Formats: sequence, structure tokens, C-alpha cells
Amino acid sequence: MLALCLPAAAAETGQKLLGDESDGSRALPIHRIELLAEPSEDGAEPIKIDPNIDTAEEVLLPFSTRLTCGECHSYGIINKGWHFNSVDPNAEAGRPGQPWIYVDVRTGTQIPLSYRSWPGTFKPEQFGLSEREFTKIFGRQMPGGGPGETDDRDDVMRQYVSGKLEVNCLACHNGDPRHDQGGTTGYAVQVSRGNFRWAAAASSGLATVTGSADDMDVMYDPFDPFSVETAQSGTRKPPTITYHKNVFDHDNNVFFDILREVPSHRCYFCHSNLYIGSEESEKWSEDEDIHLKSGLTCVDCHRNGMDHNIIRGYEGEEDESGNELVAAFSCEACHLGEHSASEPTAGRLSAPVPEHFGIPPVHFEKLTCTACHSGPWPDDETHLTKTSRAHRIGTPNVNKAHEMLPHIASVVFAKQADGKIAPQKLVWPAFWGVLKDDGVVPVELGTVTKVIEDVLSKEEFPFSGDWPDLTEDHIAKGLTALASDGSAEGKVVYVAGGRLYNLDDSGQLSEQKDHPAAKPCLWPIGHDVRPAAQSLGIRYCTDCHGTNAPFFFGDVTVDTPVAAARGTKKMVEFQDISPSYAWAFAFSFVFRPWMKVVVIASCAVMAFVLLLYGLKALGCVVKTLAGEN
Amino acid sequence: MYQTISIVAFLVTIGALALNCIISPCRECWRHPLRKVVQLFTMLFIEQKLSPAGVLRKLVYLLALLCLIVLALTGFYPTLVLGEHISGYLVMVHATFAPVFAICLAVLAVMWARNSRFTGSDWPWFQRLVKRVALIKSTGKEAHPESTGLGQKISFWLIIFLALPLALSIVLSMYPIFGTYWQELLLEIHRYTALLFFLVAIVHLYLVIRCKTNE
Repeated sequence: MLALCLPAAAAETGQKLLGDESDGSRALPIHRIELLAEPSEDGAEPIKIDPNIDTAEEVLLPFSTRLTCGECHSYGIINKGWHFNSVDPNAEAGRPGQPWIYVDVRTGTQIPLSYRSWPGTFKPEQFGLSEREFTKIFGRQMPGGGPGETDDRDDVMRQYVSGKLEVNCLACHNGDPRHDQGGTTGYAVQVSRGNFRWAAAASSGLATVTGSADDMDVMYDPFDPFSVETAQSGTRKPPTITYHKNVFDHDNNVFFDILREVPSHRCYFCHSNLYIGSEESEKWSEDEDIHLKSGLTCVDCHRNGMDHNIIRGYEGEEDESGNELVAAFSCEACHLGEHSASEPTAGRLSAPVPEHFGIPPVHFEKLTCTACHSGPWPDDETHLTKTSRAHRIGTPNVNKAHEMLPHIASVVFAKQADGKIAPQKLVWPAFWGVLKDDGVVPVELGTVTKVIEDVLSKEEFPFSGDWPDLTEDHIAKGLTALASDGSAEGKVVYVAGGRLYNLDDSGQLSEQKDHPAAKPCLWPIGHDVRPAAQSLGIRYCTDCHGTNAPFFFGDVTVDTPVAAARGTKKMVEFQDISPSYAWAFAFSFVFRPWMKVVVIASCAVMAFVLLLYGLKALGCVVKTLAGEN
Repeated sequence: MYQTISIVAFLVTIGALALNCIISPCRECWRHPLRKVVQLFTMLFIEQKLSPAGVLRKLVYLLALLCLIVLALTGFYPTLVLGEHISGYLVMVHATFAPVFAICLAVLAVMWARNSRFTGSDWPWFQRLVKRVALIKSTGKEAHPESTGLGQKISFWLIIFLALPLALSIVLSMYPIFGTYWQELLLEIHRYTALLFFLVAIVHLYLVIRCKTNE
């Protein structure tokens, strides 16, 4: 009884639990533990899972990570870590990361969403998505917690049926090869079925989960054997867990193959990229990040302590993060070290110390390390890019078409908030909204779906998941329908491809190019890091400073469902640099070899004159000192 | 730091030259200031009596002067006035005029070196010292005590000498020879050499003007 109450008490008192602090051993602790399930009532004792129960009397429940792992690890601290704290308004947003992108081809919607205050993103609630709905759509590639774990005051009964999506410790730390994050009965599928309570257990490799909580009525009681039995006899099956044989030992304890250091393939489930159009698009023909190939893992740099406040690894993070190790785990910290440190810090983990031969130091003021070293080599045009979280990569029945939405463009060399140019991914928002003050607020998803789907119902939607070819007439009809529906208060607009469309007073469609509210959403690329020999500028200055170099003059695709508005912009337009200046500067590099020759030749002549007359002067002095007049 | 040092150095140099004007005033300038201004202006023209080589020398000198002004403006303005590194179009203008200036200096080095040799008349005190050290008996023919071109000669040789680290520091940094530490060092060498070079050039110009106006 005391042991069971310990986790909750520990979180409140700050008392450390058994697994909160290492005793110093580098060996992996064995995890042969009992499985605990949440009780039907708040405050009641956790239920120890016994696979041999009489299911007529009791319901076999999925284990709860909060209670099972939380016996020895302070769950209340862990679930405030970076991966789980997006809904916490007090959590620092930090440098922009990849937003969640809601896509609906039938309404011409492609909108970046985030609970964090990142520029170019909208809060899910602005778009009319509750935390539960958000979790159902995007929770497939979340490690639980965050919006999946907040109390749903609007739909208490539904949350009682589906449970909360607790932090899935196993998503990262499970070493069991049967771990199923993206299989047909794995974590992603369970989340999409609303089986939040069952998702972690279904992914663990210890059990199989069938049925769907979403198919159940809100009056369904997953803790009541009679309710479960009744539901099972229906056509729509309730969520049911079956633990695999031989999982439990004679004490009904279970062995977890827990890894302290998370293997990189666990990270890849949510952090994979596929660059369409680059020569190597199949995994077998691609190189991985140079750090991984050198023997490191993701968590060698992206470290965290008990608080799970993982190091993101960008410049300036130390000013925002509470993680004390942050300053020591940036690119610079490992590769260059801190000159003023009391002991040598460069070369950590065998990081080569770069010389940057011939690179003027101004580059380090204007560019991030990743500008030259990360992401695919820049091409004349940006690549369509798929990411795990945007395109459901790694989950069942994923659409493998290259054109599938959302259309993320990379690599875009754009200026960050800190003033440095960094390689970034970019998505052009496309959504129906309402003008408010100077900005645009998206119309709620429910309204858009109801109104716009009717307008576009006769359109043919490509099987690939690409945009339909919308015309301005479609937009005008959509705006008229939304305005007449009356659900959206204010002037209705459509934002796409950097343009803002609205109906003028005469009812004619007007558009404003490069409207501030239609700006693209960008987020930096950190990986894959290329080896030094493949970094930008390794061959010539003209890798970047050429009159056609993609770094400045590559084409960035302007993506929009409005066929007539599709086009490109030059990379330099995202860098806060005058295009004519960038071109003139690049053009000057044509003459640079001549300049070097001229200056060196001139110096040689001057040196020769100095030497000649210097020797003559020396001759005079020698003669004088020798006594000659 | 560089900004402060540069401003102080400029003020000290200009102050020293002004002091020199006061201590050793050009009487003709005060008597006929307008005439002297016109004379100063005519110095920019090519004299008819000059030989082709003399014309070339003058043209190169004037071109070098123009380049110096442009390079000083583009180089020092952002650093000393704006307090930032040279960038943007200023870099391009700076880099365009720099090789022209280098060529001019090389030509002037060849054409002016012989005239700028130090002779015994430049520094009789040094000659006397050398003779005393070398125990050479005096011939009785002492050098002319009033040397007119010593300052110009020193500043000329200093300009040619300083031009080497000034130009090489920036050109060598464009080759993949030096790493970041040396790149920064080369940049510092360029900056401080440029400062010294410009100060010497100012002194040189002052002496040339003084010399010409006294003729």
C-alpha cells in the first residue's frame, strides 16, 4: 500500500524514487516488475495485472506506464520534459521546430499547427481542434503525454472510454525487438482508434489489442465486465487486450528489456525524412548522418536527465533551456570547445576540430554550422520532402506517392530569428480564415469541412494525394459560401501560396501577393550532417557565391492549390538580402582569381624593389663600417 | 578596441600635423592664401614640361591617390563611424579598387625608388655618427645640413613596406591555407596595417604638399 502511494507522494514532496538517481553503475538495471493498471475511480489503488483472472468477474486491463514505470521513476517530472510539455504555457518554445501539419485536400487546407508559440503556426484550438481530436490525428507519432494527457472537460465521458494517452516510456526505451510503434495493431493504429489507454501496452510487444474505443458509445464502461461482455457480442468490438503467453513469471511479474540509451531507430519513427527528387531516395542508397555512421547515437548529443528536458542542440539554447548540459552539446562545444574552460573540451566523443581553411570568419557570424554541413546538397530547385510526422511515414497504409500532401520544400536557406542563415524546411499555409486586426485567424475545421466540401464536391481529387487544380472561381465560390454560412465572424479570406484572397465590396475576387499573414512557415534542418569533405564551400567559394548558385539563386517552390498561382521564388528572398547585391557579389567572384594574381604580382614587384634598395643600403653600411669612405 | 585606437591615432596624427603648421608656418600661405590654393589645385594637372615617364608617374600617383581615398572611405567608414565590419556594396567597391591601388603602388615603387634613395645629405648627423663609429677621418667636405626630402623618403619607403602585409594579409586569406585562427589574425593584421598605412600616407601627402607649396 505504501509502495503504491509512493510515486504520487514523491512528485508532491520532491522525494527521489528508486530509479530517479543512478548509483553510478553503468550496467543496465534489470526491469522485472509488476504491471499496474489504472483503477476505474480516481484516487483508488492501482490494479496489479493478473493474466489469469476470471474475465466474467473482472476486466483484463492494459498496464499504465504512469503507474507501472512511475513506481520507480517520478512520472510527474518526466512528463514535463520537452517531448511532453507542448501544452504547458510556461514551457519555453525555443527555436522553431517542425509543426504538425493538418491537411485536407477536399477543402484546400494545409495548415501548420503547434501548441508552442512558433512563428507561422496556429494553435490547434484556433483551428477548432480539441486536444483529444488533435491527439487522435497526430498522436500516432507522439510519445504520449502533452495534449493526450490533459483533462478533457468538454467530453469527460469520451475520455473515460478512451482513457488518456499517457507518456509511452516504451516508445523510446523499449529494447524488445517486438516493440510495435507503427505496425497494424501497434501504437499508431491504437491512437487513431481512440484506444489511448491501450496504446502503450499494444506497442510493448507484450500484448495484442483489438477493437476500438471510438466505436463504443460514451456510456460504455471499460472497467465493467458486464459492459465489456455486452459490447463484445456486438458488431463493433470494444478495445480488448490479450497478453502474450509466457510474458508473466510465477509472481505475475514481467520482464521489460529497457534501454537507458535510446537506440536511434526509435527516434527515426518520428524523425525520418525523405527528400523526393534527390538522386538517392531509397534508404539503401542513402547515407545516414555522419555522426551516426561514426558510431554515435542520437542521444549521445541529444541528452537529457531525469527531467527529460532533452537537448535540442541549437545555438543559443543555453539561454532558454533549464538543462545545464546544453552549452556543452552544441556543434561548437564538441568540435571547437571552450577556450576559456579550465580543461580541454574540444574533440569530445572524437569530434574532429575543424580548421576551416580559407573560410573568412564572417561566415561564422552570418551562417549556422548547419548551413554548410547539414541537409541535402542544395539543388537548383527545392525538393519535395516527406517527414514522419507530416506524412505518417512508418505507419500502416501510408500513401507513398511523391506528391502527397503536405508539400514541404527543402532545402531553403533562410534567415532565422537570430539573424543567421540556416537550411530550413518550408511549408506554405493554405487555409480559409477570417481577417482580424492585421492577422488572419483560421476558420474552424468543422465549418470549413461543412461548407467548402460542398463547394468542391464535384472536383476530381488526384489519387496521389496532391492538390486538385483549383481556379479563382473555386476560391470565389468558397468565400461566398463561407460568408453566407455566417459561422465565421468577420471578413472571410483564403490564404494560399503566400497570397491572400478575399471578395471586394463588389463581390469580385481580389488577391494580395506576399501578404504578411500568408508567409510560409519555416523550421531549421539539423540533420543529416554531411562529412566535412561534402560541406558547402569545400570546392570553391562559388559553391555559394556563384551567379547561379542554389544557395542564393535556387528556386523555392510556391505551393498552392490554385493552379494559376503556382511558381517559384528565389532563395535570396528569404535571406533579407538584396537579390541584385547577392548577384553582384557573386559576379565579383568571376574576377577574384585575377585580383589575387594582380595583387600578388604587385606585391612581388614591391618586395623586389625593397630588397634591391635594401641590399644597396646594406652595401653602403658595410662599406662604411669596413672603413671605406 | 580597434575603433578607439584608430580614432585616437587619427586625432594624434592630424594634431601633430597641425602643430607642425603652427610651429613651422608656411609664410607664403598666409600672405597669399588664394594663390596657394590655386597652386595646390594645379598640382593635380599634368605639367607640359614632363617627360612621358614623368606623365605616367604623375598619372599613376593621382590614380593611387584616388584609390587611397576610396579605400579609406570604404574601409574606415563602417568600422569607425558605424562601428561594424565592412560589408555589402562597400566590400565590393573596396575589393575593386584594392588591386588597382596595388598596381599603382608597384609602379610607383619602381619609378620613385631611385629618387627616394637615402643620401648623405638626408641625415648628416647619422653620417657623422657612422664615421665616428667607423673611425673614418673627415674629408672636410661635410654634407649639406638642410635636407629637404627626408620625411618624404621615409614615408615613401614605409608606404611600400606596409603595402606588403596590407595586401598579402587579405589575399592570402582567400586561399585555403589558413584556418580560422590565422584567418582572424590576418584580418587583424590587415586592419592595423591599413590604419598605419593610411596615417603614413597622410603624412606623406602633407610633406609633399608642404614641399610643393614652398617651392
